[in-house]
Amino acid sequence: MNPIILSVSFLVASMVSTMWKSKKYVQNSNIALSVLGGGFLILYAVPFIFHLREKVTTHWWMIDGFSALVLALIAFIYVASLIVAIRYIGHEYEEKIISLHQYKLFFTLFQLFVLCMVITVLTNNSLLLWLALEGTTLFSTFLVGLYRKKTSIEAAWKYMILCSTGISLGLVGMLLLSYGAHVSGVEGNDIFLISSLIENATIIPENIIKLSFIFLFIGFGTKVGLVPMHTWLPDAHSKAPSPISAIFSAVLLNVALYAILRFKFITDSAFLDPSWTNNLFLIFGFLSVALSALMMLIQVNYKRMLAYSSIEHMGLILFSLALSPLGAAFALMHMIGHTFAKSSLFFASGEILIKYKTTKIPKIKDMLLRARYTSILFILGILAIVAMPTSALFVSEYGMFAQTIVQYPKTAIALFIALGIIAYAMLLLTINMVFSKSESGAIECENEKWNITHSVIVVEMLILFFLAFWFTTSQGMDVINAIVKDFLFIK
Amino acid sequence: MINSIIATLIQTIFILLIAPFAMGLVRFVKARLQGRKGASPFLPYFTLLTLIKKEMVISDATSWIFRIVPFVVLGSSVALAIIVPLIFTGSMLSSMSDFLVFSGILAIGSVFLVMGGLDTGSAFGGMGSSREMTIAALLEPVIIMTFSTMSLITNSSTISGMLVSQVNFWEPYSLLFILALMLIALAENARYPVDNPATHLELTMVHEAMILEYSGKYLAFLEYAAAIKLTVFAILISNFILPSTLVNISIWGPGAIIGGLLWGILKVIAVMITLGLLESMLVKMRFYRMSEYFSIAFVVSFLAMIVALFSSLTDMNLQYHVIFSLLTLICVVLLFGRVRLKAILRYYAISSLAIAGIAWGLVPLVSAEEKSHLWLFAIFTIITKVWAVPFVISRIGHVKRSLTNLSSFMRPGKSYFTAVVLLIITYFTLKNVSIVGLAQWSSLLYTAVTLIVLGIAMMIVKRNIFSQIVGLLIIENGIAVFVLATVGSLPIVIEFGIFSVTVATAYILAILSAQISDLHGSTDTEDLRELTE
Repeated sequence: MNPIILSVSFLVASMVSTMWKSKKYVQNSNIALSVLGGGFLILYAVPFIFHLREKVTTHWWMIDGFSALVLALIAFIYVASLIVAIRYIGHEYEEKIISLHQYKLFFTLFQLFVLCMVITVLTNNSLLLWLALEGTTLFSTFLVGLYRKKTSIEAAWKYMILCSTGISLGLVGMLLLSYGAHVSGVEGNDIFLISSLIENATIIPENIIKLSFIFLFIGFGTKVGLVPMHTWLPDAHSKAPSPISAIFSAVLLNVALYAILRFKFITDSAFLDPSWTNNLFLIFGFLSVALSALMMLIQVNYKRMLAYSSIEHMGLILFSLALSPLGAAFALMHMIGHTFAKSSLFFASGEILIKYKTTKIPKIKDMLLRARYTSILFILGILAIVAMPTSALFVSEYGMFAQTIVQYPKTAIALFIALGIIAYAMLLLTINMVFSKSESGAIECENEKWNITHSVIVVEMLILFFLAFWFTTSQGMDVINAIVKDFLFIK
Repeated sequence: MINSIIATLIQTIFILLIAPFAMGLVRFVKARLQGRKGASPFLPYFTLLTLIKKEMVISDATSWIFRIVPFVVLGSSVALAIIVPLIFTGSMLSSMSDFLVFSGILAIGSVFLVMGGLDTGSAFGGMGSSREMTIAALLEPVIIMTFSTMSLITNSSTISGMLVSQVNFWEPYSLLFILALMLIALAENARYPVDNPATHLELTMVHEAMILEYSGKYLAFLEYAAAIKLTVFAILISNFILPSTLVNISIWGPGAIIGGLLWGILKVIAVMITLGLLESMLVKMRFYRMSEYFSIAFVVSFLAMIVALFSSLTDMNLQYHVIFSLLTLICVVLLFGRVRLKAILRYYAISSLAIAGIAWGLVPLVSAEEKSHLWLFAIFTIITKVWAVPFVISRIGHVKRSLTNLSSFMRPGKSYFTAVVLLIITYFTLKNVSIVGLAQWSSLLYTAVTLIVLGIAMMIVKRNIFSQIVGLLIIENGIAVFVLATVGSLPIVIEFGIFSVTVATAYILAILSAQISDLHGSTDTEDLRELTE
């Protein structure tokens, strides 16, 4: 089956969102089509994840365990954030914060944005991968700047300029790599195929490979949000509508990381030794964790706090990938866990935003009274993200920490301190938010009603909880290890 | 020996006979193009004859110089007709056609004309002379630079030798050389845009002002001299374009002579019609802009010299793609110091056009299946980057007219300096990076990397959202050149995708910038500082 069929539901949904004139039709058709499309993608991906189906490689497509895993994550978060978006954006529409035109624009761009991510992880052609990754930037710029306010337009501007520049540099890296293959005698359009680049990696001249990987790493690293190319990330995450922040943080960063990892495989197979790329990963990963630990202390905005936490987790994943092969398995678990935990946190922050109309932590009082369900779920989410036990993130962070101590004891201590600061800062900010009382004393307020967002968050929490146990079973470990072999070069 | 003397005689007589016709033909063509019926092209013969019959009026204030000027000027023109190989090569005096002699003879003619103008002491004559001297002084270095380029290429200092070596017209330096020669010819013969040959009534005239006091026989001589000079230049230029049409005297015979003469007539007609067309389209430049005209002529000839030197020193043939990549870089460097959005977009469009030119220049050098890709690349580039992208951005800029002056941290001079420093740094950095097999396209690689560096520098140095857009676009241009330098061509679908990404980027950024300027009231990136908690 040609994976291009998968894109049909996205295209139909985006077209329908532009054409239908009533809010209700747009909403219903989007729900129907996204559940259909997302469900289909997950069904398509699952056999690959468990290696029940063999890897598929054609001229345009390459689907193995790793891409199927990222695909499944995209599909899940896609459906979840669409459901949340229906409530969140619908609420904004009823409050007259956005117009019907913006409402329709949101869903049109949302579908195309997700489609670009799907293509990025499924394609075998490096240039198509580039196009799709650039497409995610192009389609999501107006999602970030949806509110047409000073700050959100500014965030959109920074996002677009930085990511476009970065990804353009990534293209230079890709072209260099293809050129390297071209000089060493790979024929025709095969020079652009990731699969054939992996096969022929050893004959590509060494200096070309090095140069091209540096370009790719810096370029796509901008999109991953690695320090020091991260400056767009907190702005865009804090100013975008919450469902978009969730999908950015939970999958878009992973998709960009996916692109880097594909090229890391090529580079490592060329040198027959992953240590050169691993060093890059270690440095940038550590920097990201350290900087976000420092920035976390001075945050007064809960969405920016979550954004810096995303930088931290991307740094951790990167760092841990370099501790291969065992560390890479934990990195993969961390990636999965982070996806669920961070998206539920952003969904919850959307609920807070709806309730309080502000993202400033000091202005939020009496949260436990006024939004009891959201408060509880938000605290649970924060506990999960700082890797308290019984969260899947605990399993992965514990594992990667053990690996770090074995391989780099001194760095491990620095990392431990950084993580401690982050956990402290996040918990402190959350407690300030949730348990603070307003000075004016008692206030009457209507109780918060249970809504669809809460249900989505609960589902994600349950998955996180279940994953924590599944990762520790030998069966879970086997599946993860098999996927690691798909994307990581192991000596 | 005898043949060569006869050849010289035939050529001289031919030129002397056809010269008035050439003059008449230009006037005829111009008249037709202006919608007039026009006098017969053969009218100048009668004019000259009538003038010779007329009585001369000579001012008492003049000295003997005034009287010898017509003879010297006519003599210099005839000397040109004798020594320059126009119909035959290898004729008797062609070994004298050294380009320094050539320019010397031209100089003698103009110096005496100037003295004739001054001698009467009239206001017009003096003005004309002063202008003529300015022009001659500016023109002289151009002539020498131009011909020395050709002599460098052909290893011969005579015009005859240059023509015999049959340089291919389509070589870049040869094309530049001919362009420079045309500019020289227009200035030397007092045609548009340097001078207006048609009237005595303009205050700005040059050549006509100097001969204003002459009448009768002397005037006939001077007009005849001008006609001969025009004819010589016309045939000379067409000889450089088609060097194979010259008749070598070793194949001597009636057929060859008649063929040569026919070619001569054909060349005169073709060049005069072109000149007539050209003069109908151009306007005369203000005299104070003359320096620009001559700088252009000098730059063209200098460029030809550089190209020729490069070709001979590095025995690497400097081809079109190299020249176009130079042009791309020059445009971007010029863009760097500009302040107005419109000027910046214009330079951007020209540099994109030059990138299409690079692709065109590469066409003869690649394998057959890549040719169509390159054509496609060139066409896509012209449609998207020369037209669509500047259009989209300038439309937004047009709406926000007050905001299109792009402030910069630096003044233009410093910006240019920065750009040039970046060019040099990139050059030396790249010299130390060796990438296998890229030596063939090293110039393209250099262009690509420099464009990327300049684009990034532009985003940093200039603090306006429009300059950030342009910076990003320059980076994308750099990548386009990089594609040409490395893999050559991409699959068509992808190529199309990349160009659409460029247009989409420009479109989105243009909309965002409009929103920013609405909300912030300025386009200064310094104002984008709200999100810094």
